[in-house]
Amino acid sequence: MILRTGISFFTDTPAYPGADEVGGIGPSLLGTMWLGIVSTAIGIPLSVLTGIFIVEFRNHKLAKITKVFTHSLLEIPTVLIGMLVFLTIVVPTGHYSLLAGSIALVIVMLPYTMSYLERALDEVPRTYKEAGYSIGMTRKQVVFKVVLGIAKPGVAAGLLIGVAKGISETAPLLFTIGSARGDFPVSPMDLGKPGDAIPLLIFQFIQSPYENWHDLAWGASFVLTVIVLVTFALVKLVVREVKL
Amino acid sequence: MAEELLEVRVEDLNVWIGDNHILKDVYMRAVPGTVTAVMGPSGSGKSTLIRVINRLIDLVPGSKVKGRVMIGKINVLESDPYMVRRRIGMVFQEPNPFPHMTIYENVAIGPRLHGLAREREEIDRIVEWALKKAQLWDEVKDRLDDYPYQLSGGQKQRLSLARALALKPRVLLLDEPTANIDPVSTVKVERSIIEYAKENMATVIIVTHTPQQAARISDNILFIYEGRVIEYGPTREVVLHPREELTRKFLGGEV
Ligand SMILES: Nc1ncnc2c1ncn2[C@@H]1O[C@H](COP(=O)(O)OP(=O)(O)O)[C@@H](O)[C@H]1O
Ligand SMILES: [Mg+2]
Repeated sequence: MILRTGISFFTDTPAYPGADEVGGIGPSLLGTMWLGIVSTAIGIPLSVLTGIFIVEFRNHKLAKITKVFTHSLLEIPTVLIGMLVFLTIVVPTGHYSLLAGSIALVIVMLPYTMSYLERALDEVPRTYKEAGYSIGMTRKQVVFKVVLGIAKPGVAAGLLIGVAKGISETAPLLFTIGSARGDFPVSPMDLGKPGDAIPLLIFQFIQSPYENWHDLAWGASFVLTVIVLVTFALVKLVVREVKL
Repeated sequence: MAEELLEVRVEDLNVWIGDNHILKDVYMRAVPGTVTAVMGPSGSGKSTLIRVINRLIDLVPGSKVKGRVMIGKINVLESDPYMVRRRIGMVFQEPNPFPHMTIYENVAIGPRLHGLAREREEIDRIVEWALKKAQLWDEVKDRLDDYPYQLSGGQKQRLSLARALALKPRVLLLDEPTANIDPVSTVKVERSIIEYAKENMATVIIVTHTPQQAARISDNILFIYEGRVIEYGPTREVVLHPREELTRKFLGGEV
């Protein structure tokens, strides 16, 4: 199918319902990329700092509460997370936006990344922390230069799984980004505007009665799968394993 | 460079971990330019003692320390632990070079952290010096950018020693550093320790699991048993003419 349309599958907007051609998933593809970038940019520092807080200050009451809270996010249906962001961001700002979608995705990602991150940080043997302190490191230096350095592969894997989970989700986007698939979000300024994402397009088109939209949805599913797989492969390549 | 001579003096030291009274009225003295061996059965409090000296004991939840640990004129127990640890090196029982740093980085990290050297050549010099002092240089000079997992256990331990030496500590603590490594590396570590003490007038305290090692490398021996000092004196005397029955039994392998 993609072979038939060629490159225009990635650059065109979807064709009209019932038309002879399928068009393309351009705006949705760009939207998914932006969602991936922005939710990663927010999600990484947020998860890492939260993870460090939970693991390194485990006896602190607030750390325990944070842990229970992030883990319980897993129990909330993702569609409710979409609703929550709809009420707190979309309604006050008056319109759907890619940014609101990214925030919903961050919340969906968080419990996944956190459980990996906590394990990775926890598994760093104590002797390396002691070695850090023994050469005069402060607690902060031990956390960032030693613990995080050693746990990096595990941390990266956790973040990746979160991002992969996030960008293939539909439910959190239903009430947040607004399925605007006529315009191409090219600049960061477009993040404040409504947009689209591949999972959302698949979800909506596959339910439509139009043959050409079904085809487009199938093609889009293939693209989404490839994106997720490529992300995994990339990180596998980039992140060197730390052998003890 | 005129090096400060820092004697280590422990007086009336009592340590509790939770409800356990681990060290009881412990005293000792370690003099610059000498090696002091701490001996005793497993669980007698040897590791706890040296972890008090560099305040790693602070990391143990529920620990409480009373008494004086003087290094030169300052009481370690009343000082900033981070400042204290910059001047005191430590080598642990398990070789623990940082696995995510190269051989070079493992040695350079201390000097870099504390701004002892900034220029690349200066750091290169310190790294080479420390690796030579730890008797590891010849084996790694062509692969400084390798990671420690490629080294043997004994080499890893000498790398840990080099990491500590790179800060030119006035006091060097070692907790059974050769318990888990091969005999060849053991000899090298022992030689480095003695040399470092003598050449730099550093104060070295080593916990050792064998009386033979204590006899080979130490000037003085502290024998502790169940958290108490049983005997303390020059190595020859303690080994050849132990005053206490318990010491004799320990040396004979009976306790
Ligand atoms: N982190 C800790 N938590 C609780 N108890 C400890 C801890 N470290 C040591 N101890 C206890 O202190 C005693 C002395 O231990 P240690 O100093 O390690 O002895 P040694 O090094 O002579 O074998 C032991 O009874 C041990 O169980
Ligand atoms: Mg011990």
